[in-house]
Amino acid sequence: MNALHVRHLHHRFGLQEVLHDVGFDLFAGQSLALVGPSGCGKSTLLQAVAGLLEPSRMVMQNDFRGLGYMFQQPNLMPWLTARDNLALGLKALGVPKPARQRQADSLGQRLGLALDDLDKYPHQLSGGMQSRISLGRALAVSPDLLLLDEPFSALDVGLKLELYALLREQIAQRGCAVLLITHDLMEAVRLADRILLMAPEPGRVVREFELTLPQAERSEAWIHQTTGQLMENTEVRIAFGLQAGTLAIAESHDHGATHTGCKV
Amino acid sequence: MKGPWYRVQSALAAILTYLWSGWGAIASLLLFCALWEWGAQLNGPLVLPGPQATLAQLWHMLDSGLAQPELIISTRRTLQGLGASLLIGSALGLLAGRSLTAAMLSRPLITLLLGMPPIAWLVLAMLWFGMGDTTPVFTVFIACFPIVFAGAMQGARTLDNQLRRVAQAYRLPWRMQLTDLYLPHVMSYLIPAWITALGTSWKVVVMAELLSTTDGVGAALAVSRSQLDTASSLAWVVAVLALLLAAEYLLLEPLKRRVERWRLETEQ
Repeated sequence: MNALHVRHLHHRFGLQEVLHDVGFDLFAGQSLALVGPSGCGKSTLLQAVAGLLEPSRMVMQNDFRGLGYMFQQPNLMPWLTARDNLALGLKALGVPKPARQRQADSLGQRLGLALDDLDKYPHQLSGGMQSRISLGRALAVSPDLLLLDEPFSALDVGLKLELYALLREQIAQRGCAVLLITHDLMEAVRLADRILLMAPEPGRVVREFELTLPQAERSEAWIHQTTGQLMENTEVRIAFGLQAGTLAIAESHDHGATHTGCKV
Repeated sequence: MKGPWYRVQSALAAILTYLWSGWGAIASLLLFCALWEWGAQLNGPLVLPGPQATLAQLWHMLDSGLAQPELIISTRRTLQGLGASLLIGSALGLLAGRSLTAAMLSRPLITLLLGMPPIAWLVLAMLWFGMGDTTPVFTVFIACFPIVFAGAMQGARTLDNQLRRVAQAYRLPWRMQLTDLYLPHVMSYLIPAWITALGTSWKVVVMAELLSTTDGVGAALAVSRSQLDTASSLAWVVAVLALLLAAEYLLLEPLKRRVERWRLETEQ
């Protein structure tokens, strides 16, 4: 089975240690959420996994070949039409123009974009449409690992729910692994099979939670209730600064022993 | 997807829109001619011949076959010097913009080069290359190079880091990075620099020819000056300006509209 294993991930920006001995595993078809307050090094971690940043130290084994990346902002190329933005990754893979445009058209339609909109440039589209295109661009390359860097944090509730549904549908169809980064616990509860709690200064993993209920069976009520339960957890409250206290910094990280997992 | 007929239609529409936008330019040129005529009537034809007299003189020069060879020589020199500076300046500027160190190193040099008066380069070129063809071509090159280089470097430096990350995350091969990332962004910096360089190139070539060669528009200007022939001098100036305008509005401006389509689309 394809998997991503990360161990002993350390990173420093100058003198400041942003990541301290982070490690996790992600297997094919699973979705893993890294949850933590802003500034705990989540984005840095994702960039290190994607190879966009050279960490100070990391042991990584990554069997996943195709990679889709959805950024915090849509980050569309302003000079390409929506269609060409959707097909950007396909073009990089060498898919011929007619084929990739056909794929972009059908993907665009599945994501709720009209053919008319696909001819437009990003600045002519609403924020929601730009996010759809950003999601489509990540899905177009048929990734087996999808990296999501808080892509929904700036969207309104209605749009968020719509994109969650689209994302879940696409993940279920394709069976790709998802590594989601978010500061929104409810988003994590909604989309993830496992949640890793991160604490800042230095950024580190302090706890793992497992959500055993299959995603398809999760109701709104269950999501709210589970999020509520997590919010009462002492470590979660300390990590998000809701409660005074300190969380231990592991001297050496032995995966599986430090956070044993907790069934919710 | 749009069919070929749609493309032809939109191309025609774009050309018509472009021509229509020319009325403003023509109106402003005619206004300038009116002022010129007024100045001519105040000063008399010996000091300042009017636009009609100048155009008549230009027509006469073209008709007698006197003007074309000189214009061709000057145009060739301009294009050689300008072409070299556009190619080398754009390429080196882009490379320099990719590295912070190179950008820091080249910035003061560019300020130095931009500040150096072209006439000083001309003197040096005359010492180095003599009174031949190379002198005006070199002077044009060295006068235009820093303008283009600075534009290209600025363009490469200001590229959004987020977009660079997108290119990295989706493993864009270097050719695609060039065509889908760097060039579209850099073009909005390069084209204004190219237009400035175009203007500079004509100014410099006429100056260089006036002082260093026996042919070309500059040399012809030197002759008409020595004969106190103001009408011919003005006719040469008008001919050069016409070539300059033609190059800008028939070549560079349409190119700018083409590469900046994505910016213009909202204004319509």
